[in-house]
Amino acid sequence: MSKSFGGVPVLEDVDFSVSRNQVIGMVGENGAGKTTLFNIISGIVPADAGTMELRGGPFSPASYGEASALGVSRVFQEQALIPNIKVYENLLLSHEAAYARWGQLIDKTGMIATAQRVMDEAGLDIDVRLPTASYSFSKRQLIEIARACLIPTEVLGLHHPVVLLDEPTSALEKSDEEVFRRLINRLRDHSSIVLVSHRLTEVLELSDVIYVLKDGRLVATLDPDEADERILHGLMVGRAREADFYHESEQRAPDEAPFAFQVTGLSRSGQYQDMSLEVAAGEVVGFGGLLNSGKSEFGKGAAGIVPPDSGTVSLSGAAPERPVIRHLTPLGLGYVPAERLHEGLISGFSAAWNLSLAGGADTFATSMGLWQTQKEVKVTQEYIAALSIKARGPHDVCATLSGGNQQKVVLARWLCRDPRVLILDNPTRGVDAGAKEEIYKLIRGLSSKGVGILLITDDLLELIGLSNRIMVMQNGRITRVVEAPAHAKPSERELIEYMLSQAPPPMNAGVHHDMAAAS
Amino acid sequence: MTRERFTSTGIGKLLTDGMALPILVVLALVVFFSFASDAFLTLRNLTGISGQASTLLLACLGATSVILMGSIDLSVGAMVLFVGAVTVKAINAFDLGIGALFVGLFTGTALGFGNGLIFAYGRIPSFVVTLGTLSVFTGAAWEILQGRALRYDSLIFEEMAIGQLIPRFPNIALIAILAWGLMVFLGFATRFGRYMYIIGGGEAVATTAGIPVRRYKIYAFMLSGMMAGLAGALAVARLGTAGPTLGQDLLLNTLAAIVVGGTSLSGGVGGVHRTLIGVLIIALLDNGLNLMGVNQYTQMMVKGGVVIGAVLVGQDRSKSTVMK
Repeated sequence: MSKSFGGVPVLEDVDFSVSRNQVIGMVGENGAGKTTLFNIISGIVPADAGTMELRGGPFSPASYGEASALGVSRVFQEQALIPNIKVYENLLLSHEAAYARWGQLIDKTGMIATAQRVMDEAGLDIDVRLPTASYSFSKRQLIEIARACLIPTEVLGLHHPVVLLDEPTSALEKSDEEVFRRLINRLRDHSSIVLVSHRLTEVLELSDVIYVLKDGRLVATLDPDEADERILHGLMVGRAREADFYHESEQRAPDEAPFAFQVTGLSRSGQYQDMSLEVAAGEVVGFGGLLNSGKSEFGKGAAGIVPPDSGTVSLSGAAPERPVIRHLTPLGLGYVPAERLHEGLISGFSAAWNLSLAGGADTFATSMGLWQTQKEVKVTQEYIAALSIKARGPHDVCATLSGGNQQKVVLARWLCRDPRVLILDNPTRGVDAGAKEEIYKLIRGLSSKGVGILLITDDLLELIGLSNRIMVMQNGRITRVVEAPAHAKPSERELIEYMLSQAPPPMNAGVHHDMAAAS
Repeated sequence: MTRERFTSTGIGKLLTDGMALPILVVLALVVFFSFASDAFLTLRNLTGISGQASTLLLACLGATSVILMGSIDLSVGAMVLFVGAVTVKAINAFDLGIGALFVGLFTGTALGFGNGLIFAYGRIPSFVVTLGTLSVFTGAAWEILQGRALRYDSLIFEEMAIGQLIPRFPNIALIAILAWGLMVFLGFATRFGRYMYIIGGGEAVATTAGIPVRRYKIYAFMLSGMMAGLAGALAVARLGTAGPTLGQDLLLNTLAAIVVGGTSLSGGVGGVHRTLIGVLIIALLDNGLNLMGVNQYTQMMVKGGVVIGAVLVGQDRSKSTVMK
């Protein structure tokens, strides 16, 4: 099976099978293609090439609804239970027709009986007549897993449904982890389960077979009895890093004090806690961590886009009263978001309009508030040439540009404002290899000009190759600082171990649950 | 009309691009009505049309910015009514003469500021905010008027609207055209104008790039109120009275003119330069159908159909560009 987005392959020739009553473990670092694989299996996106079979017959669902009707269901990372209705209503959601009596009336008693039987069978102590919101986030996660595994058999009479579990335990409370293990062991008698998880101990314990995905390829099939965490770590990463690609020879030792950028005690409830660090002029500080590590949220906080609850941000010693972006940009800060099409640029606008688009440091408006259209066009032309942006001209609409060229426009937005510090969140996501290298070269060039760079990325090689220092984040805190000088780069394996190692307890667990319930 | 094209080149292109169809509609209406009614193509009637269209154009000028920004202002007509009532009261109490115009401008700006504050800080959809203030302003105006039409006596104030510095062209139309020119300049050549497009085109992008979105949202509503204030004061000057039905037809007519002109309700596309064409279409329809003796009820139906038709056609055009 293969899939690519915008010319960038995310899955290549993936090939695997799930037997009845089998639990498959699926591991891989961020961006390895696990979610895309699940999206294809559950009919959310079509595969570019390849076929699937279910119970011996061809299987090519056009939608999630079709996949689940055939007995392939999925528990998403975000919860799909509706909090303000009863548990049994959630369990049998969209199956009400099976309980219709005398036309439109619904046999509530029958529904409750079925739902309760399912919960008992799963070994969960749940009263299905209570509102769903009366159970904790963690318990609701268990309810959802049981629903996916048991309801298709119970209601549709489909035996051995296939259930895809995407990080089911990341939100579980400690006390429920044991319940989860028992639940999976019970459910394996009824269904086939594919389990994606960053908790390798759990995968090792529960799975019958473990598949390792790396860069969209299936690189290993393991027997859990013969594997351990170290072996998995090595398989998940272990790519050759070409120092040239990252221009490592150009990496320079950062300037001594004063610091270009400094954050002190930056915290935001439920996202990151007590972040303090300094970035020297010309230094590239990398931030690595799992998806829920809080690194992107920290980036938004440090840039003042989602202002932190407490803490200060200063550039070259100057700290605005409140760290909000429009007070930080005049001091020389620039921010490139990860979600390029949502937050980075307006694809219906021209390159020139997107390049000039920034508040705070309004280089294209006079003090009277007049817009300098000619300057805007001229500067855009200069950057199209300087960054070799493949556009016909400044008036070319960004929707027609490739991901890499769009990203260069977003970068040019800050470059033309002479930044001192740039915060880059996954600057090469969805960008082809050629543009990737150009962006790396650009980052090196900026750093040699003394720009301090905070590089937040899920790409381990990029993190290692570009950074002077690497901050490993787990649950909203920096749990390790790894030095990465040009002559002694850490290995991917070392970093992934730090990222996956026993994390400190999740912060503000209660807040997180409330937010989830409210959303 | 499409996102792809409205930013394609300089102002010259902006003025003409995608406006061919609305301009054709204007010409078609002129041709049609001049055959359908002998009275249509007379100087007297054209002067009349320019007077009627002026109030509508003034009321649309600020509201276009709000729609361009992706929000909506339903309270324009109610602001015109309220400002009209306050202006008449002020003239009668203080004998202000032309100064009453500034009472109107100030009152309107204050009303718009209220709309903007509630919208931006209360985080309530603008549709709901202005639907609420529509009722509040209307009620308050009727309270002032006590349900009756209020007259005033100030020749110099009337002259501001119905006098003719340019023969056959009432002053109110002159003011409206000048104000329109100023707004086109504001839209194309200033930071305020650019920010309206940016907020409408992608608010998340604007926020991430450090644009003070909330402040500019308030500015847009203030501008809408200010232009409604100007429209209210001049409408009173033109009519010589402020009655309970003042501005009643503006709720539909402003939205219709803006949308028919080609500013998208989803924001980021269009501009005040187009609204002039939309205003002409609506004003010609009103006037022409009246002359043909079509009754009020049928007129309402025709106008509603035109609005829906304009959006339908507009969508079609943008789709075809996306496909190519």
